[in-house]
Amino acid sequence: MVDQPQSTGRRVLVCRVADLPHGESLRVPREETGTGDAIALFNDGGRFHALNDTCTHSRASLSEGWVEDGLVECPLHGGTFDLRTGAAVGSPATEDTTTHDVEVLEDAIYLIPRT
Amino acid sequence: MSGAPGSVVVVGAGLAGVTTAEYLRAHGYDGRLTLIGAEDEPPYDRPPLSKDVLTGKSALDEVRLHPEGWYADRQVGLRLGVAAQEIRPAERAVVLADGTVERADAVVLATGGTARRLSVPGAEHPSLLTLRTARDAVRLRERLVPGTRVAVVGAGLIGAEVTASAVALGCEVTLLDPVTPPLVGVVGPEIARVLHAQHEQHGVDLRRGSVGRVESTGSGVRLHIGDGVVDCDVVVVGIGIELNLDLAHSAGLAVDGGVLVDNAGRTSNPAVFAAGDVARRVGAPREEHWDAALREGEAAAAGVLGQPAPAAKAPWFWSDRYDTHLEGVGSFTTADRTVVRGELTADFTAIALRGGGLVGAVAVNRPQEIKALRRLLDRNVPVDAAMLADESVDLRRLARGV
Repeated sequence: MVDQPQSTGRRVLVCRVADLPHGESLRVPREETGTGDAIALFNDGGRFHALNDTCTHSRASLSEGWVEDGLVECPLHGGTFDLRTGAAVGSPATEDTTTHDVEVLEDAIYLIPRT
Repeated sequence: MSGAPGSVVVVGAGLAGVTTAEYLRAHGYDGRLTLIGAEDEPPYDRPPLSKDVLTGKSALDEVRLHPEGWYADRQVGLRLGVAAQEIRPAERAVVLADGTVERADAVVLATGGTARRLSVPGAEHPSLLTLRTARDAVRLRERLVPGTRVAVVGAGLIGAEVTASAVALGCEVTLLDPVTPPLVGVVGPEIARVLHAQHEQHGVDLRRGSVGRVESTGSGVRLHIGDGVVDCDVVVVGIGIELNLDLAHSAGLAVDGGVLVDNAGRTSNPAVFAAGDVARRVGAPREEHWDAALREGEAAAAGVLGQPAPAAKAPWFWSDRYDTHLEGVGSFTTADRTVVRGELTADFTAIALRGGGLVGAVAVNRPQEIKALRRLLDRNVPVDAAMLADESVDLRRLARGV
């Protein structure tokens, strides 16, 4: 298990479900999330996940990564992370990342960021 | 761990060596593990050296392969600033330059290469620099002040990136290469021309030819190229590497354009493995890219453990110069047809086909398409040339099979 920080409990409206098709991702800037890093929101086969946007290996935006089979691959060097747990599962990434909760209400996607 | 050697010494602390150590620990190896690096620097990532480190955007401490405590946390004995002098597989020993001996039931050679220098009269002039190590990058950065006249010899990936960085730093740059355009073998002729033309668009003086002689002019040097000359303050020589093969030779390993290895990274001596720039898989060309070093490090580590190697992947590389992010996968050398998505004057992806099958691709500022093509290639997905050329077809969907 990856230890995760506390949830802020705040709910941030990000977009409509239709705005984020399968395999797509979206970068939610810090000004909107109120977190230390921007948050990348992913649609992996109809399941929504959110991770800290900056790869733990080097400065790249995971929102530009490849999303498939529960994983996101960093666009820069190909390190991979488990979308559900934030675990670093593929080299060169070795440091786990932070996950954030996602809620879908009606047709809207909300982020509930951790600190 | 049953079946695994009691001690492993990894010689070389670049990406291949560090990845080997990392993979061993990540896959349960609990024996003695030592990583030997000839440089004083804690292990670092090389690609930023010609870009962010050179332009000052990143400090060296920002391009370490791992944070400071990483090695101790994983009980990886890191010995820096001391080169390995000899490996003695029969004695299960690695002798270091300071006279100490490390016990090694298995050795992984990841010794890489050393920047090749010009071998022409006058080439020993101190204004002729190379870029391979962190120290090289720091030394070069000190010289690249605005207005400096810089000659870059060799317009391959390193030469092109150093040229772009020097331009960004306000230097006056001349780029020399005997081949016009360079990189044809890597990216195909159309893209090679487009990339090479970028230098001119950024005010670089492009010269075709090779340096015959270097003359000292007091503060700088004069390069003699055929009938012409280039006067400059600093010369950066980017003409490839010489492999560091001394240890392999002294151990009697089979060497032919690199230390020969099998799919598991095993050399002709079953207790010795090799990975990274120095290694060449039998029957394949030797690879020098970042991703290859990583994959070969993983394969060698799996070999040491007697485990199956991770699935092989098509070669992949990237290069950044000016506002261009270049990425390539596979190879263009065997292509009989190329299709292009987009415009060569803007962002595009060129796809190399052979007999209707995908063999390679290269893209400018379209990393997502390369990611898709890389998967199509690795998964051996049959492709249709017309579909690949059609911009309205999302390559990512093809790769996902949806």
